[in-house]
Amino acid sequence: MTVHAAHTPKISEWPVWTRLGALTGFVALIAIYAPILWLMIMSVSGDPLSGIPGPFTSEWYGTLVTNTNWLEPLWLSVLLGLAVAFTCMVCATVVGRAIPRIRQGKGAILAVALFPLMIPGVVVGTALFLYFRVLLGLKMGMWSLFAGHLVWSFPFALLAVLVVALRFDTRLLESGADLGASAWQRFRDIEFPLLKDGIISGGLFAFLLSFNEIARSIYLRGRVETLPIYLWQQASTKTSNVPLIYSLNVIILIVSTIIVAIAFWLLFGRREK
Amino acid sequence: MTETSERPAPASEDILAIDHLHHRYGNVTALKDVSLKVRRGEFLTLLGSSGSGKSTLLRMIAGLEMPTSVDVFTLEGRPMAQVPANHRNVSTVFQHYGLFPHLSVGQNVEYGLHVRKIPVPERRRQAEEMLRLVKLDGMYDRPIHALSGGQRQRVALARSLVLKPAILLLDEPLGALDEKLRLEMQIELLSLHRTLGMTFIYVTHSQEEALTMSHRILLMSNGEIVQEGRPEDLFDRPSNRFAAEFMGMENIFTAEITAIDGGVISVTVNGAHLRGLWTGKTQPRIGDPIAVAFRSEKVKLARDKGALGGDANRFEATLKSRVYKGKYLDVVAASALGDVRLRLWDDHVVLSDQFKIEWRPTNTVVIPID
Repeated sequence: MTVHAAHTPKISEWPVWTRLGALTGFVALIAIYAPILWLMIMSVSGDPLSGIPGPFTSEWYGTLVTNTNWLEPLWLSVLLGLAVAFTCMVCATVVGRAIPRIRQGKGAILAVALFPLMIPGVVVGTALFLYFRVLLGLKMGMWSLFAGHLVWSFPFALLAVLVVALRFDTRLLESGADLGASAWQRFRDIEFPLLKDGIISGGLFAFLLSFNEIARSIYLRGRVETLPIYLWQQASTKTSNVPLIYSLNVIILIVSTIIVAIAFWLLFGRREK
Repeated sequence: MTETSERPAPASEDILAIDHLHHRYGNVTALKDVSLKVRRGEFLTLLGSSGSGKSTLLRMIAGLEMPTSVDVFTLEGRPMAQVPANHRNVSTVFQHYGLFPHLSVGQNVEYGLHVRKIPVPERRRQAEEMLRLVKLDGMYDRPIHALSGGQRQRVALARSLVLKPAILLLDEPLGALDEKLRLEMQIELLSLHRTLGMTFIYVTHSQEEALTMSHRILLMSNGEIVQEGRPEDLFDRPSNRFAAEFMGMENIFTAEITAIDGGVISVTVNGAHLRGLWTGKTQPRIGDPIAVAFRSEKVKLARDKGALGGDANRFEATLKSRVYKGKYLDVVAASALGDVRLRLWDDHVVLSDQFKIEWRPTNTVVIPID
């Protein structure tokens, strides 16, 4: 008579690992979303600073209409974001359509173009500040914010353009030339329409990155007050404006989410077979 | 450069003339001393395997690449050597079709007219007419991704034809289609060629396509034109060993010339004597390195005295293998020459182990090895 011993699983096969994985994932998600959720609840609560939800009210959203201190920082941030986005779209298009055509050293050029992604914001901020202020003796202002935001946003915009530029079949330009189209007509009629989605989503990303930027802005802003800096300053003071921060942040969150959703939809959602 | 000889030039007759074209990519020679003339209304095929330079030559004619050097390059009498593609009156149907995925069928067909600033109603009318010609009536508003491979092929064709180019260039246009569709499109291309009276230059690696469709074939290998002629010239009288192999002559043996009697050459292969016709470009001399070649389907079983007459090449043979192919029987037989391949179409062949084979000297070519 033979007895088959029950199979003893190895440690790596213990079912507990799967459960532990799910648990830690859940904890991480809570850590990310709980503060945001709490922010949203507080924005419609009577006394946000108490930390206790309710009684529910739209009072703080109403105050945003009467107390308009936040409008100027918003206007500056939007203006800056648009300028950064537009410049990024132009530069990312020029660089993004060139990279797939490079025969030698493509990887190296791409690495150099994308490396700023890895440089910590504080480093870029300080470096630019010291370079402009100390070395060149320039005064900080909108222009230095623009330069700092551009350095930060460009690699993201480039990545968005590369997603579509690498899918683009350059043989289509040959058939365009063959049909009589000039270089400009080929770009306008064939290449641009097919890269368009990547360029626009690159612009949307660039806008958002600039709009949310704070680490570099602290060094480069001079006296300019962008919306993130305004919010940060308001949040750290004990003034009656604080409840407004909740509602303003919720609005920014919703608008940002919509912009990101559009960008991703343009990049990946509309792919035809 | 040659002196301008007083040859009565059929210049008005030739739509395209290229003389001594060379092309290099770095150190690699892509085209070597290519010269050709194409007559108006001709169906010319550039035939060759991949890497033979046939597509490069087509791209030169299209203007998508510029030759490294060329003495004469004229299209309809005008020099074209350095003129870019968008200023040449030729149009290409690519193997990959090159259709614009963001435009509809109609917009694709109209694109060439659009960049030529033809008014909208007029180009719509011409596009509809061309779509009718390629049997895509009513497809004007379809998006490209909704079309089958065969339909895309037709859109590409219509897009080029609507421009009424001096020459239509076709770069392996049927390569991506399945067998049945390919045969249909061959017939349709021929009928379009007849209807429009346009000059076609067709690139293919398929000898069957080349033989079926062309007035004239240029066989290319390693960037050179190795033979030029009508389909039957290439099929029956390949002028060198490469051409013989490419055109499917299954039996090729290295041989030595023993006697030259006009066009008829007597040769020996492994000591066995046979005769054939000289097809090389230059006159042969005794001692030249040569080969003898013949088609498997021209080899017959010799009954009794032989049916092909007294001057046939005739040998004793031993059966080595036989493969039944339905319509015919492929046989390999050992003979004094070496292994000879036979293709027998007779329904009820009964092969013994020993038999005689024979074929005519007129079905045998003697070619230079180079």
